Amino acid sequence: MFRVISAVALFVAAPAFAETIPITGNVASTCSIYTDTSGVYGVPSPDELSTIPADGGIHPVVRYDVTIADYYVAKISWPNQFSTSPSLTDAVNWDGETSVSQTSSAAQADYETNKVEYENVTEFDLTVAGSVWFEVESTVTYGYEKSFPGGTYAANITAECIAT
Amino acid sequence: MKWCIAAVVALFAATTATAHQWTPTYPKFENSFVEGVVVTTMKLFNRREDVRFYEINVYDEEWNPIRFATATKVVEMNYLEQKDIEIYVLESDCDQIEYICTVSKLLLDDTDNGINSRICSKV
Repeated sequence: MFRVISAVALFVAAPAFAETIPITGNVASTCSIYTDTSGVYGVPSPDELSTIPADGGIHPVVRYDVTIADYYVAKISWPNQFSTSPSLTDAVNWDGETSVSQTSSAAQADYETNKVEYENVTEFDLTVAGSVWFEVESTVTYGYEKSFPGGTYAANITAECIAT
Repeated sequence: MKWCIAAVVALFAATTATAHQWTPTYPKFENSFVEGVVVTTMKLFNRREDVRFYEINVYDEEWNPIRFATATKVVEMNYLEQKDIEIYVLESDCDQIEYICTVSKLLLDDTDNGINSRICSKV
């Protein structure tokens, strides 16, 4: 009987131990540049190359993912020279436009209105965490209504993500 | 069933994207094993299947290049490979450093997709 009472007392008297188990995590700021869609030049007329879909082209699309807001600026440049082309003896005239094509958050709607353009560069302040897709339009004309020589033409866009 | 599989395959094919990542965003320099030289370690992650080489550059606030040393300034990266890259600079140049950048190097052929990517971390 004494043993039974002692055993019960042991349990009653036993203090309650509590362990705290920490859960830790680290959210680091990152910027990833995704090459979403390759561009294609259409040839609406012999003296023009264009990525506009109505001209038979495809706009290149770049996606930016940022994990934390206000850490990066996106700078996207439309091309102003060919990386591959036949020999060109006359003036090549470049034009382009970079615009927001899709966003992951309604809060990114301001990106298009707040963009800053200079020369062939467009800057977007990435003020919201998430994904945003930019499409780049590029048109090229040759001389004064002069036909492009036959051959393969390629040009590169540059997508930059600069920490601020 | 065949139509269903074809639709799913087409969906994945249409949404394939490749990426370039360079971290940390704000690297810190610390003393190296050489006196007067400081070092920081950056991570480069290549998810661009069309890119095998990335170039590293260090700049000041006005985007003027600053002298630095790494194992190699043009890094060869396989697809989905991640590398830790140590960047050494003179301690006397450390205050001038503003950006550490990587830029993808495209080949002059049909294998790339015509998009150069550059990411810059700020010191």
